[in-house]
Amino acid sequence: MTDISYLLLVMLVMTVATYATRLTPFVLFSRGQERALINFIAKNTPPMIMTILVIYMLKGVNYLSFEGVYTFIAILVTVVFHLYKRNALLSIIAGTAVYMVAVQM
Amino acid sequence: MIRSVIKTTLPILFGFLPLGIAFGILFQELGYPWYFATLMGICVYAGAAQFMAVGMLGAGVGLFEIAISTFFLNSRHLFYGLALLNSFGSWGLRKFYLIFGLTDETYALMTTIKVPKEFNRERYYFLITLFSQSYWVLGCSIGALASSSLNFNTEGMDFAATALFTVLLIEQWLKVRKPLPFVVAFGSSCIALILFFQHMLLAAIVLSITTIIFLRFIKSKQND
Repeated sequence: MTDISYLLLVMLVMTVATYATRLTPFVLFSRGQERALINFIAKNTPPMIMTILVIYMLKGVNYLSFEGVYTFIAILVTVVFHLYKRNALLSIIAGTAVYMVAVQM
Repeated sequence: MIRSVIKTTLPILFGFLPLGIAFGILFQELGYPWYFATLMGICVYAGAAQFMAVGMLGAGVGLFEIAISTFFLNSRHLFYGLALLNSFGSWGLRKFYLIFGLTDETYALMTTIKVPKEFNRERYYFLITLFSQSYWVLGCSIGALASSSLNFNTEGMDFAATALFTVLLIEQWLKVRKPLPFVVAFGSSCIALILFFQHMLLAAIVLSITTIIFLRFIKSKQND
């Protein structure tokens, strides 16, 4: 079961595969062709991906249980803190603390 | 600079540490020595892929299949680099490491925060990446090493990732101030959730980028 050489090969393969996904765009677009389109995509991906990441994090929540209520409250706390104080760390700690206390009760 | 980086990456610490610990605990159940969890955090450094690997290692899946699955699981990173093409400085060891260490969390941070004026941007990004990976490696190691003796209840701590993305979404809104990319992304996410629930993340990214390029194309046609 504990075959070290298999584990090492798996790790090597996974390291290369993961790095390939991260490296590809930098290699493909390093010579500045299609600049206008790439700049357009570069400008628009961060707001889009942030929206998608938030929805992605919320997709596994069971909204018919208390988990859904706790998640809603914790997000609300995070957003309200951030709009009032605009201190990222404070907002995140406040939201997370509320959520942890709620689920561990 | 280090103090500022620690403050900036603290939310990543709260996200990576419990997730890394969870990985370490799972990995340790496979029966390998603990330091292989550390090694995996250093070499592979990809959250979802490492969890997938635990299942595949247990089942003894073939290398080719593991390579393909890892590539597709992480293929959203193909799009992350696009926004950072000009942010990582010139080619060199540092740039290779910055690309190696690109995760959902560091991507979100680096495309949203303003690097304080007094610091060099590439050095700042380098430290963000290095610290973030250290948190992950630390988590993987603690989990594999001390799985039986942990008694701090970290349940719910992973909400830090959700809170981080929420805060960065607000910051993106304050920076961009145009509803279009947010609306496109929301619509794409809804469609992706309905059609590809399991692979929603990648599907939504591909769909939203395709849509916004299409809209730009239509707009430029109208102006002709």
